Amino acid sequence: MEKSLFFTSREEIYPYVSHRSCGKYSPHNPRYLPHSLSILHRAVPEEEAGVNAVEVRGLSRSFDGREILRDVSFAVGHGEIFGYLGPNGAGKTTTIRILLGLLAPGAGEVRVLGRDLTADDDARARVGVLFENNGLADRMSAADNLAYYAGLYGVEEPAARIDDLLALVDLADRQDDPVGTFSTGMKRKLGIARAILHRPEVVFLDEPSSGLDPGAQRMVRDLIIELSRREEMTVFLNSHHLDEVQRVCSTVAILAGGRIRAFDSVTNLTAASGRPAVTVALADPGERARACETVEGLPFVTGCEPDGDALHCTLADPGATPDLVATLVGANFRIEEVRRSSRSLEEIYLEHVGRVEDGA
Amino acid sequence: MSTLAVIARREIRLALRNRSALITAFIFSIWFPVMSALSIAVGADGDAAAVTAGIATITLPVAVFLGYIFCADAFLREKRDGTIETLLCAPVSLQRLWEGKAAGVTVPAYLMMLLSAAVSIAAISGLTGVSIAAEPLLLLHFAAVVPVWIAASAGLIGAAQLALGMRENQILGFVFIFGFIFLIVLFQQIVPAGSGISAATEAVLAVVGLALLALARFIAGKVTKERIVRTIP
Repeated sequence: MEKSLFFTSREEIYPYVSHRSCGKYSPHNPRYLPHSLSILHRAVPEEEAGVNAVEVRGLSRSFDGREILRDVSFAVGHGEIFGYLGPNGAGKTTTIRILLGLLAPGAGEVRVLGRDLTADDDARARVGVLFENNGLADRMSAADNLAYYAGLYGVEEPAARIDDLLALVDLADRQDDPVGTFSTGMKRKLGIARAILHRPEVVFLDEPSSGLDPGAQRMVRDLIIELSRREEMTVFLNSHHLDEVQRVCSTVAILAGGRIRAFDSVTNLTAASGRPAVTVALADPGERARACETVEGLPFVTGCEPDGDALHCTLADPGATPDLVATLVGANFRIEEVRRSSRSLEEIYLEHVGRVEDGA
Repeated sequence: MSTLAVIARREIRLALRNRSALITAFIFSIWFPVMSALSIAVGADGDAAAVTAGIATITLPVAVFLGYIFCADAFLREKRDGTIETLLCAPVSLQRLWEGKAAGVTVPAYLMMLLSAAVSIAAISGLTGVSIAAEPLLLLHFAAVVPVWIAASAGLIGAAQLALGMRENQILGFVFIFGFIFLIVLFQQIVPAGSGISAATEAVLAVVGLALLALARFIAGKVTKERIVRTIP
């Protein structure tokens, strides 16, 4: 059995990655919870068992003396929706281009499905890609554009597949119209359909929501989740739309200053805030100040401050939440809601990017 | 269908739907032979062989220029708008992609060249009263030599457009215009009026065309995906 070229497992280099979500759903959206992992996971060829869908190790690359990527390493398991985050110019697209064999790595190694895509037509046939340009010809119809790529990728029964995808992206009634007459959002949807036309095992989406209005962004987001669920593929999502990534992705890496600053599941990243904290919503928000005074002296409370209409309390011990609630109830405060606080991906992202910008 | 045919067919369809390129090519195909007919008619002085040679001579630079017009759409536009990056990720070699595009450019350029040749023959016949017979060598010229030259020029221009940056491509455009004028003058020197069209001249032109095609293939083989991607604007 062939093993991964780089890592025998992701845990080998990233031992803190404990959450291996399947990625066929948004961990924050139970609608997409899998019925059965065995149904959801596309069968991985026996010879590729133990090989990650995407592997990057020690990747560096410079352009004209400027170092864009420095010793970048990460791995994406089969079936994950992976979010690759970073500010503009961080090197996200360069990483994708190197993975796709369009650019050579300066140092280090990359593999997609265990292969180097540079000169491997067979491996490239198992990978889909959507760059900021959708790869569509404006003067050809939607159906003709897809038929062209079906011919390039040798798609079996292309007519049925094209009909299926056009219906999925809600463009069936426009299939004979030139793409040049489409809106940006429609082109994006068609671009996604094109990228997955040949049922790739891994699909790279480079800024799929770029330039779209909020409604179209949501449509693309839903489409990614739906396609991942339906087509059972690994999705490599390159984006700086943090809300999109948090809703869609199971695992993220944050790239800043040419280096990976964080790499973990979204659940772990957003939960790891340093100290456990809870948010307590009172029935009467006017009592927040008095409630803070009540709990601030407690040995298991390290801090308390009003947070909107609620209290935000940091705790010395994650198991102290019942004691906090009991104290407040004992002091005759009426509690509406208690929830464990977690940081948003945006906060985590800004923290990492901010550190780099500050030169830390 | 082979990937070469898939790519070529798409380029032909795109070219036939490119109104601006078609209008440019159409105007050039009409205007240039009509203007040339005058000088050929004067130089040939009623000699049918000289008229035939003049037509054969003028069609080559016309064919090359028509190839250039359609290359702008097949190679340069796709590079400018980034579509080429997606195509480079397909399970097709860069060489095959170039071959398909060059073949797809050759077909509409060749059709336009045939139109241009027909206009040339009609204009010169009208001006000189000379009836131009369906001479086998002239037919061979149109059927074999001209397509090779179109394919060679499309291949060379396409490879250059893929490899060069946008500014360099602008310079290439100017160089090509001057090269076009130089080519006309050169052909007028190589095939002097009154010499007629011969098997020898056709053989030389065919060999040169094939050599240019081989050169284009060699140059295209040296272009890398990295070079193309790094020169996308």
